[in-house]
Amino acid sequence: MSGEFRFSRIPNPMRRCARRVALFTATATFLAAGALAHDNVASARRLAYNRDVRPILSDKCFSCHGPDSAHRQADLRLDRAEDEGQVRGGHSVIEPGKPEESELWQRITSRDESERMPPPDSGKELSAEEIAILEEWIRQGAVYEPHWAYQAFRNHSLPEVSDREWCREPWDRFLMARWDDEQVEHAPEADRRTLARRLYLDLTGLPAPIDDVEAFVADERPDAYERLVDKLLASPHFGERMAVYWLDLVRYADTVGYHGDQEHAASPYRDYVIQAFNDNKPFDQFTREQLAGDLLPNRTEEQWVASCYNRILQTSHEGGVQIKEYLAKYLADRVRNLGSVWLGSTLACAECHNHKYDPFTQQDFYNFGAFFADVEDLMTFRGGDTSPTKREPEIEVLDRPVRWELQEIENRLQEVSTRITSDSESLTEQERNELLAEQKRLEACREVLRRTARRVMVTVSVEPRTIRVLPRGDWMDDSGPIAQPAFPEFLRCSFDRPPRNRLDLADWLTTPDHPLTARVFVNRIWALFFGEGLCPSLDDVGGQGLWPVHPELLDQLAVQFVEDGWDVKLLVRRIVLSSAYRQQSVASAQLQERDPANLWFARQTARRLPAEFIRDSALAVSGLLNRRIGGPPARPYQPEGYYALLNFPKRTYRPDRDANQYRRGVYMHWQRQFLHPMLKAFDAPQREECVAKRPVSNTPLAALTLLNDPTFVEAARVFAERIVRLGGASPGGRVTWAWREALGRSPSEEERAVLVALFQENLARYREQRDAAGRLVRVGLAPVATDLDAVELAAWTQVARAIFNLHEFLQRN
Amino acid sequence: MVKKTLDVPPAEELRQLLVRRAFLTRSAAGLGAAALAWLWEKELRASERGPTDPLPGLPHHPPRAKRVIFLYMSGGPSHLETFDYKPKLAELDGQPMPESFTKGQPIAQLQGQELRCLAPQFRFRQHGESGQWIADILPHTARIADRICIIRSMHTDQINHDPAHTVMNTGTSIPGRPSMGSWITYGLGTESEDLPGFVVLTSEGGRNPQPIASRQWSSGFLPGRYQGVQFFSQGDPVHYLRNPDGVDRAAQRSLVDAVHRLNQLRFGQTGNSEIQTRIAQYELAFRMQMSVPQLLDISDESPSTLERYGVIGPDGSFAYNCLLARRLAERGVRFIQLYHRGWDHHGDLVPYMQTCCRLCDGPSAALVEDLQQRGLLDETLVIWGGEFGRTPMFQGKGKLPGRDHHIRGFSMWLAGGGVKGGTSYGATDELGYFAVENPVHVHDLHATILYLLGIDHRRFTYRYQGLDFRLTGVEEARVVHEILA
Repeated sequence: MSGEFRFSRIPNPMRRCARRVALFTATATFLAAGALAHDNVASARRLAYNRDVRPILSDKCFSCHGPDSAHRQADLRLDRAEDEGQVRGGHSVIEPGKPEESELWQRITSRDESERMPPPDSGKELSAEEIAILEEWIRQGAVYEPHWAYQAFRNHSLPEVSDREWCREPWDRFLMARWDDEQVEHAPEADRRTLARRLYLDLTGLPAPIDDVEAFVADERPDAYERLVDKLLASPHFGERMAVYWLDLVRYADTVGYHGDQEHAASPYRDYVIQAFNDNKPFDQFTREQLAGDLLPNRTEEQWVASCYNRILQTSHEGGVQIKEYLAKYLADRVRNLGSVWLGSTLACAECHNHKYDPFTQQDFYNFGAFFADVEDLMTFRGGDTSPTKREPEIEVLDRPVRWELQEIENRLQEVSTRITSDSESLTEQERNELLAEQKRLEACREVLRRTARRVMVTVSVEPRTIRVLPRGDWMDDSGPIAQPAFPEFLRCSFDRPPRNRLDLADWLTTPDHPLTARVFVNRIWALFFGEGLCPSLDDVGGQGLWPVHPELLDQLAVQFVEDGWDVKLLVRRIVLSSAYRQQSVASAQLQERDPANLWFARQTARRLPAEFIRDSALAVSGLLNRRIGGPPARPYQPEGYYALLNFPKRTYRPDRDANQYRRGVYMHWQRQFLHPMLKAFDAPQREECVAKRPVSNTPLAALTLLNDPTFVEAARVFAERIVRLGGASPGGRVTWAWREALGRSPSEEERAVLVALFQENLARYREQRDAAGRLVRVGLAPVATDLDAVELAAWTQVARAIFNLHEFLQRN
Repeated sequence: MVKKTLDVPPAEELRQLLVRRAFLTRSAAGLGAAALAWLWEKELRASERGPTDPLPGLPHHPPRAKRVIFLYMSGGPSHLETFDYKPKLAELDGQPMPESFTKGQPIAQLQGQELRCLAPQFRFRQHGESGQWIADILPHTARIADRICIIRSMHTDQINHDPAHTVMNTGTSIPGRPSMGSWITYGLGTESEDLPGFVVLTSEGGRNPQPIASRQWSSGFLPGRYQGVQFFSQGDPVHYLRNPDGVDRAAQRSLVDAVHRLNQLRFGQTGNSEIQTRIAQYELAFRMQMSVPQLLDISDESPSTLERYGVIGPDGSFAYNCLLARRLAERGVRFIQLYHRGWDHHGDLVPYMQTCCRLCDGPSAALVEDLQQRGLLDETLVIWGGEFGRTPMFQGKGKLPGRDHHIRGFSMWLAGGGVKGGTSYGATDELGYFAVENPVHVHDLHATILYLLGIDHRRFTYRYQGLDFRLTGVEEARVVHEILA
């Protein structure tokens, strides 16, 4: 057992502190706390700087006494051990072991307002507990540590646990050790129906077909679960599911974002991302191709498409943009995104000054920017107010299956023409004519296929422009020092050549011992399957982020991920095969009270589906879903006039009138300024900036969307048709059938009764209102069943709508 | 009954709060109990609060205004043709613009062109007892001269429309930050039980309307329920407000009831409190299906009211939107923003000013007067202005002269809710280029708006990505106390 990560009973001085704190805190709040902080009041451990102290200093002190030299007060730093011996006011700032003799402690406890830190006008205040922690930390010797996320990975031995049998994956033990410590019961394993639905939604973003659920429930083979996992990991929908998340990070959209928000050519990049996850492209290669696909030796077309990553930032085509200003904006945008996606760090502040909390300097910001100095951007400023706008450099590409098909056509054409020319003597007239006809047919096919080519922006490297540090971020100020491609001093790894270009940047990021890249990625993948990261601040592993609940587990997963060759599917597989993943999401009373936010992962987290999967679920259950992978942006129904505020040019939205209407959410046309109202109502981001975690709202607009958006109404009436045709004869039987199709389980008696009653009531209603029934069953483009009674169909449509509006339908448990 | 269900905490939001704060459980390692309790109390209350409750601790001081109506003149109206009288500019008409003004300054469409002065195109006169200088093109605003405070020293940071809008609404040009309407409804809640707290209306008319992105009323990193809700003049006033074809209100009611019953049963199985929130939100949605059409039905307005605003019908005009703004204010909506698109006058300044003023001048004045007559002006802050002003220099895009974007000095006016009417504040230089006397940055305007609503902008923060963000940003911002009544 590694003492470092374990709780031990607290030493006596700590208890004293605890009592002192309790004394000057209102009894009422203290009592309220009892329920939450349980027996920790009487127990603690040796304080750890990173976990216990740094968050306080960072939040309350570093903005004036931290890494940012320009705004530092009294020339005092509190973020480094080497500064603690400085003398202020006749005392050392920090005298290890002796709080009373430390100026810091004097100042934070001073009753004199002019003396007290933080100063009242800073808007910051130390709580009594925070003061007590700082006091105790000094008493324990004021030991500093480098920030956890910047430290090299460490190997951690597996802790002893109470129930080794339960732990299917070795690292389950890290979680269990905490449960043992906290003396909580973890949740039992979820039932197979729940697991099937969970796995389908988590790995493909689609609801589990009832037949698959039943097969899994009935599968008695010991590896039934593994088989299901492997089947889903191999599904082409896995890539779509993962892309929904990745595209949020890299802020993929189909329009330029600023001003006229014209369409730009990017959808092949989206398909590249889907394909990369499906092909299980190693994450280091994935990184290299996106940042520097254009620079790879013998780059393939796909790798060049991947370099569209550097082009999907927001750009402006507004008349009167100043090129120099916008080049500065684009540089900053790229650096921010690089920082968020790969480093899990918030670099935005370093555009104008040194980071106030993390060791990133302003120079670092522009040094990162210098990696992108060769990206051809000037052509972007040409071209008028058209949409789609052309933003050279662009290339035309074909989908992978189309390329394969074309290759076959070419091969056959070659064969045919060879036969026509070289075998001309041996051929009969008829044979010859047949060959000529085939040649014609093949050429026609080739033409049709070639016309499916799509344009995509790519990166082209040109002579790098000079990048300067912009004082206070002012693009008009040329007085700053020149920035060169370079990495922050404090982020050390074994990458050892002088960096020159984006390829070096990608190689540095994916150096096996780079402290951030693997940790950040693994943490986010964990969150996809557990609802919360091991470090809960998915967007910031820096000093102002949250301390990871299980840093040793995070390290373990990261190390393994790198050792496995950055194998994403293997990482996902390891996570979903774990015992922790398979737990129920219903919280016991004990866990509800002790760990309401589920940071110990002693249960699964139930959560609402992302916007795209809500759409996908309704379409899938109705049978309307078009399962094609990849392709141009899809345009589902959208309220008329929604783009009225767009201009240059004026835009008319034309919903797709073919099978493209029913494509998955990941393919929906992503208009940054006016995101489809359905996506917006369910918290899909506009993709202006990196989003590592979508918020989850619950608003009346979302309710109105599910109730009235024609996409859902049409799906309901088409589902109704299936209910009538396939659900048997009795209303009760049909309700059961529909319920199982949509939710993967049978309804209870009560549940069934509610929907049967809803059906009967609507049947009566629509018998009286035949016209209304006729209108309801005609919503949308899908053909109307002429052989079925519209009244009955309308009544079942109401039932189907009710199912699509259920909380459970939107939920992954 | 409805009010009751709304009191249920949105569990997901609460969970997120807990996660954000949960580091305390560990960093405190046993000592953090009291701090945690304090945070729980504070934040539980914050997330439990219904839409009408303010954040705990707010307002910071007694508010002077309860709500804001922002008449947003999108495109950037010329200060030199409305409120900023510059006789010296008339003298220099056609002369080169002195380089001392323009050297090293950001310039939009006039980049690389010869810069010449363009005289003010309309006559200015003094109006009201206060003797405020207002151009003849705004006769109705002139009528309320004694009720408005004109700020002639506004300045901003961004010279292109999109980023300048973003600065005016969020305080920065970096995307992803909350708009002021979201900040304010987040802080104060709304007074309306069945309308959104932040409503956006748009109209157009004038020169080539500049686009407006929904980013301008985005809640950014604040919870999604504080985003502005756009009301439309064509189709459904709110997206998906209308029942599907063939579903009447009774049918919709019975469906929602069935969903409620099934969700309740699910709640019994899982105990997930998010389900209760969903039930409440469906109830609110169902009520909005009634309350929004009622709001928009102006048949109960008297002919004289309609005439005063110049409303012909529910046509999406600025006049109609002004009338709706009053109706929204009466119903307790906290932040009402009206965009009129058409003020981007790079050319044909005179005819386009005539168009825009014809559409906006009367209704703006009527709104202020109507609010006053109904006793609402004292508690409603009305703001009029755009994302920037226009250059003293000539621009020749069109048959007749125009002006380019200008950010170093422009004008806005405020009325009602705690503002001293009949006053002018600040001034630009003699050519209307730089705000030289008492300059007011957009952040200062934000600080002042918040102050009037009872909020101290320095203490009104939201923790995101480890930083305490505020509407007024990190630079110093000041409340313009001089214009307060």
